[in-house]
Amino acid sequence: MANDIIIPSGLWEGDDECVITAWLASDGAQVTQGALIAEIMTAKIQYEITAPASGTLSIAKQQDEVAAKGDVIGAVS
Amino acid sequence: MITAPFSTAADGIAREAALLQRGKPALMLWQAAENALVVPVAVARRDGLQRALGEAAERGWPVTVRGSGGGIVPQGSATLNLAMVLPCTAGFTVEDGYRMICGAVTEALTRFDITAETGACPGAFCDGAWNVLAHGRKLAGTAQRWRAAPQGRVVLAHAAVLVRTPEPDLWPVLQQLQAAAFAAEPPLRAGAHIALDALLPGAMRQSAFPGALIRAAEDRLTALARRERKAA
Repeated sequence: MANDIIIPSGLWEGDDECVITAWLASDGAQVTQGALIAEIMTAKIQYEITAPASGTLSIAKQQDEVAAKGDVIGAVS
Repeated sequence: MITAPFSTAADGIAREAALLQRGKPALMLWQAAENALVVPVAVARRDGLQRALGEAAERGWPVTVRGSGGGIVPQGSATLNLAMVLPCTAGFTVEDGYRMICGAVTEALTRFDITAETGACPGAFCDGAWNVLAHGRKLAGTAQRWRAAPQGRVVLAHAAVLVRTPEPDLWPVLQQLQAAAFAAEPPLRAGAHIALDALLPGAMRQSAFPGALIRAAEDRLTALARRERKAA
């Protein structure tokens, strides 16, 4: 079963988008639940994204791509 | 001494990172003795920027990276930094973090009869919606780093306050690096900024500012902790 990696929806108040500034694990890598796997930036904040589960990381949106609240940027299965 | 002295901005940033990692409420005022330009790590690793970074270092402004977002910020004895580490529950937003740290700076200024507001300032370094402005000019910039911790989110909110008017040699270096890193943004103007020494003539009043700032930050941190306890 895949666990989506989602941009949190309640983090900021407006509809601004964010940028994926880094993937800290590679596509296909084994990751552990809670491990830091990506960073996003919006409104001069850097926000850490952690793995929602342990398993194989699948990246859907690449570094420097723009994402909106609620977007799925990858999954762990 | 109320302000932690560090030799370099990198040392101060490392201390902030350690406080964020610890995840407990914390406040720190700090200042670096040596000049540096601090850029977000995501900006520093861009292709094509390495030459501009090297040139800045050759001109006396070595570049240090930081984990929070934003643009280029000068560090050194002209800049006073406030770091607030805020453990918080769901519902706390980016804007709450900015309101908290900008509120601490503006309240501290109020004690000296200086009216300040938050807003963007085109032509200022590291411009954003959450600058602290005095007379429409940038006095302080803010940024945040958020960490997901087992017990919830932890926020590092950071403000860099210009306490002394920067030396003129800063501007050409900063303008060159800004143009290389943020070509689409307006060019930097020295006149878009203002420092505490221009707002608070007299060394006594300037030396009282850190105390007022830490008290205002402490009040906010205490109030947040009380709210979080009540919500738990």
